[in-house]
Amino acid sequence: MKSTLFNDAAQTIDLSSVREFKENGGKVVGHTCSFLPVEIFYAAGMLPVRLRGINTESLNIGDAYYGPFVCTFPKALLQQAGTGAYDFIDGAIITSGCDSMRRLDECWRKMGQDISGTLPSWFYYFDVPNKPDGVAFEWYESRVRKLIRDVEKKFKISISDEDLRKAIRDQNVIRKAVWDLGLLRCEVPTFITGTEAFEALIARTVLPRDLYAEELTRLIDDVKARKDPVSNTKKRLFLAGSICDDLELVRQIEEAGAVVVGETVCYGQRNTCAQVEVEGDPVSALADHYLSGSICPRMFGYYPLRLNTLVDRIKQTRAQGVIMQNIRFCDLHGSENGLLERDLEKLGIPSLRIEKEYGALSEKGRLRMRFDAFLEQLDTQD
Amino acid sequence: MRPELKEYPLDSLFASTFDIARKVGRSTEKERAILLKNVPYVSGLLGPLLSLGKPATTFLEIMAEYYGNLINAKKQGKKVVMTTFCFDPTIFYAFGNLVPVTLEVGTVITSILWKRGSFDFMDFCTEVGFSETGCSSQRGAMGAYLAGAGVDIDMVAVNMGGVCDTNSNAYSFAAQYLNKPFYGLDYPAELTPDDVTQYHRKDYRALIRFLEEHGQCSFDIDRLRELLDEKRLQESLMDELEEMQRLVPNPVPGIFHLLIYAARYTFSGGKKFTQMLREMIEIVRNNAENGLSGLGKPEKSRAFLFYIDNFSFNVGMFDWLEKNQVSHMGCMLSRTFSETAPYRTGVPGTTFSINTKNLDTMIDSLADINARMPMTRTIRGPYDAPNMWLEDSLSLAKIYKADCCIYNGTPGCRNTWSNVKLIMRDLEKHGYPTHLVYADAFDGRVENWETTAMRLDEFFKIRGLL
Repeated sequence: MKSTLFNDAAQTIDLSSVREFKENGGKVVGHTCSFLPVEIFYAAGMLPVRLRGINTESLNIGDAYYGPFVCTFPKALLQQAGTGAYDFIDGAIITSGCDSMRRLDECWRKMGQDISGTLPSWFYYFDVPNKPDGVAFEWYESRVRKLIRDVEKKFKISISDEDLRKAIRDQNVIRKAVWDLGLLRCEVPTFITGTEAFEALIARTVLPRDLYAEELTRLIDDVKARKDPVSNTKKRLFLAGSICDDLELVRQIEEAGAVVVGETVCYGQRNTCAQVEVEGDPVSALADHYLSGSICPRMFGYYPLRLNTLVDRIKQTRAQGVIMQNIRFCDLHGSENGLLERDLEKLGIPSLRIEKEYGALSEKGRLRMRFDAFLEQLDTQD
Repeated sequence: MRPELKEYPLDSLFASTFDIARKVGRSTEKERAILLKNVPYVSGLLGPLLSLGKPATTFLEIMAEYYGNLINAKKQGKKVVMTTFCFDPTIFYAFGNLVPVTLEVGTVITSILWKRGSFDFMDFCTEVGFSETGCSSQRGAMGAYLAGAGVDIDMVAVNMGGVCDTNSNAYSFAAQYLNKPFYGLDYPAELTPDDVTQYHRKDYRALIRFLEEHGQCSFDIDRLRELLDEKRLQESLMDELEEMQRLVPNPVPGIFHLLIYAARYTFSGGKKFTQMLREMIEIVRNNAENGLSGLGKPEKSRAFLFYIDNFSFNVGMFDWLEKNQVSHMGCMLSRTFSETAPYRTGVPGTTFSINTKNLDTMIDSLADINARMPMTRTIRGPYDAPNMWLEDSLSLAKIYKADCCIYNGTPGCRNTWSNVKLIMRDLEKHGYPTHLVYADAFDGRVENWETTAMRLDEFFKIRGLL
């Protein structure tokens, strides 16, 4: 029988595997951004869990702290925290992913004063520079070192270089497996749907490492053994843009008659082909890995690098078109999608820009119509 | 965008407008009256502005020279740097062959002078792919440069990384769209620690290398020293104005804030700016000596705008405050945070000093100044962290004896709209009636003036401030 572990992990905040980790004495730390080196927490014997705003049915708490002209992702996250969905975390790290996300720091702290029990005992702000070059790299490395010191102090533990190297090696194994999964999606025909692959990618951000690695290996073996491909007549699409952990979005695109063969969205497969250097200073290696690549438009002035990465991934996955989505008020991706649309079309890669609110099923009908129209457009280009 | 707009280059329009306007100061009363009849939309602003006398004329001369420099830059073999209002332009003038163009200043001018504001340019940005939810302060003038209706830009240098996404994003977009080199200074959430200062200074040196590479020249050390000496003098003059603003009634006309910061963002270190400040001091000193308010009538209340001003509708908000006898106690754009400022708190690292001893100290001073420009200083970190938005607002509201606080901004400001409700709650707790304006400082289409004014009326009435 097919395991539902990844599907559950992608669609549920309160996971039994995470509760189990806690029951065995483990500490769980929630975080908000892919610029946080999770190896630090694995090295400390802790479980880093990416915070999400899924299954939010109201934004009454989010709207009480945030103003109206703000992206719904941090609002949904705050809503979940405010309703106790994250009562299992021992700490939270807010990263300066963008202006709205970094203000989650204040909104959550103030909410913690108003609604008792909603603020974790350890609440930390992690500063990430907005460029990945020399002087900023030094700064970022210093922030990573500071974070390690602060984790050691707070949780009364010691994180050695060897602990970090082991965590790096373990994560490199996962990076390699994720990349292998990505390569399977590149095959024509492909034997895995985008929905199934995206489940696995989201699950990576929330499941305990060993459990995840085991299940991912099983999935890869299973896909390799499959005899029935995803229909060859389906259009191959690539997903780019704002932060997205919305499984329903991918499912909806696929229900319209496409298969999603890759993505660069946060929570998806980004630059995971790169391995973190194991030799030498592990903190420098982590800083180098996490700050390089510049896949996120929060790194100002590095658009050409991101365009090249995207084009390479599109070619590699043999995608026939790109859907670029952004959450309303996400100016970074909203504007970048405008540039990408111009440049991808110049390169003969059809693209569709959509703006939406965060959360499953929001504006489903309108989006479905856009996907249908885009796929029709691709049909006429055959 | 309407094709005719592309036929009249924006900078040339500004240059000719200000070139004519500066001569108005030398006109007779009769000539001025005839002129004002012929410019009905701007007469509401131009009339009172000119009645201020010398500083207004000098301000118009500053703007005429600024835009004159811009349209003649290429003829003189100079390079144009697109930059932001939060970036101190002194370094560009030290290079000699660099001419800055500050987008937000252009947006403000169109918002003030043109009934249509810069709507066409804002919409053009959206047409070419820029997010419609991005900040209108850049989208205004930026549209003209993207459309080719402004001077040719050679490079982009800004300083809002880590402070304001929408600002950095706009300039990054413009650089990419126009295929120009880009440099962005980056700012951590904290201001005062030593390692942060060192980061600022290293980053600033990398910026200078960028300017040298793309400007194809080095800056003149003597000119830099001269500019910084002048800037130090300007700081002391602004300190004097700030000090007099503590008086009750406040003898400083509200519109002086706008003139000062516009001149500071475009002509920092320039001698005409110094002249304008001296002329202002003369007026303010006279008001103070005679116990007069800068409103030209008795002061009923004092409002501190804890974000920015509203420039739409012919600067209607300045007009509203004046008509209702409310003194404008400045906004986030008004203060420089020099070590001599009367509003300094004395906390180490919160202010800057200008040290012209040698090249290194001068560059360090520039880096420190930039790190304390509006927004860059105050809204880089959590609003309730030491020396950030809440503490600054409370401290300024207190020393300037404000009766209330007003938030006015743009819906494009993701940074402040993400925590404005929190700071308002805290300001109220500290006893300051606080009003939230939903209008857009640069885009009059977001909320019409009647609504903005009605809400101001309501706020001041209900809170018993008048």
